[in-house]
Amino acid sequence: MFWSIVLFLFTLIIGIISPVSGVGGGVLFVPLSTLIFPFHVDFIRGAGLVMAVTSALSSVPYLTKKGLANIRLFAVLAPIMVITSVVGGFVGLKVTSAFPGGKYYIELMLGAIILLVFAVMMLSKKLEFPDVKEEEMDSWAKSLGLRGAWYEPTLGRVVNFNIKNMKKSAVVFAIIGFIAGMFGLGAGWANVPVLNMLMGAPIKVATATSMLIITANAPAIGIYLTKGAILPSIVIPSVLGITIGARIGAKVAEIIKPVFVRWLVLGILFLAGALNVIKGLQGLGVIPHIIPGG
Amino acid sequence: MVEKEQEVKVDDMGLVFGKSMIVFTIIGIIMMIVPAILYFVGIRQYIPLADVSKYWGGSAAEFWQHTKGFHVHGYGWIFNNLFYTDTLSMLGVLLLMITPLISMIAAMFKGPTKAYKILLFLAAVEFVISIFFKAG
Repeated sequence: MFWSIVLFLFTLIIGIISPVSGVGGGVLFVPLSTLIFPFHVDFIRGAGLVMAVTSALSSVPYLTKKGLANIRLFAVLAPIMVITSVVGGFVGLKVTSAFPGGKYYIELMLGAIILLVFAVMMLSKKLEFPDVKEEEMDSWAKSLGLRGAWYEPTLGRVVNFNIKNMKKSAVVFAIIGFIAGMFGLGAGWANVPVLNMLMGAPIKVATATSMLIITANAPAIGIYLTKGAILPSIVIPSVLGITIGARIGAKVAEIIKPVFVRWLVLGILFLAGALNVIKGLQGLGVIPHIIPGG
Repeated sequence: MVEKEQEVKVDDMGLVFGKSMIVFTIIGIIMMIVPAILYFVGIRQYIPLADVSKYWGGSAAEFWQHTKGFHVHGYGWIFNNLFYTDTLSMLGVLLLMITPLISMIAAMFKGPTKAYKILLFLAAVEFVISIFFKAG
């Protein structure tokens, strides 16, 4: 009972952060839970995934209605990411069976990439409201009508936006899907910077649309269900916490200042990058084992 | 503010996607939580709560070996034990897993152009492939 209450409160906080940052929650829940809770990492990963998907499912309808989560972008990107994630998962199984220690190098590389994205985002200007002119839109973006609008309460007006670099982004999202599938990761950490910096989606649209894209990762729940790694005792408090938190977070995401969203995303990217680097280094024996389950 | 919000035009495709998602998410959560409450109060438990907290520190394989004496593979452990509240609760998780698929199919019919209908159809087909692939 004690652990259920702690788990509920912990996931409630993650649920509030998740729709605001566009990161599914698993990226925070899994590494921190392995430090806090007595459950094996199998159950933590299973609960983390159900939680991340539930938080996305709970917040997306609200964000879609407000014009923040863009269904057109999802319709274009989902077919690319889902199939490359399946291919990545297949390749990942082959690679890990042939080269078991390789996952630590990958974690290290992934951490380095996330920290690089963090540095680029930190130095970039105009992330809150990138100004993509009609003439900057490529032929794909124009023909698919990749544009949108939402009412921004902090400005007191409707903000319109256009999307650019659709062709390049299709390739980048294919790579993200492949990497996410290969190493069993969510892709929120990558979705937001690409949507924002490469495609020119305003930061709040990028975070909301990232939540929409995360829903396409739901089939990964099957991995844990078929192994019996989802237990009501762990999943129910987590889902309750994340669902209530995500409803609060979706409303917060609408009214919060975009500059705060930017710093929150940066903070999460830094944390996720650093945790991956630490896990990779401890797996390779370079540093002592400080994160359980790594 | 209400007037300003009305200036924002959201695709019917997006609205249908969102509406179907919220309906099935709520149903999924209820299907998950109601049996779980019965489980927590001690009704028809497949794995007793005391055993869960005793063995949740081990891997999933070790957990099942200690509590039930076998290893789990596939969805059989859920569908063969639906008279137990903890396994019944997993049906809700399954529904949550396929909710994005239901939403994609619903939104497909509201696609503003043929291109979006095809893209959502492709995404739905790939989603199904992904379910089978990821279930091993």
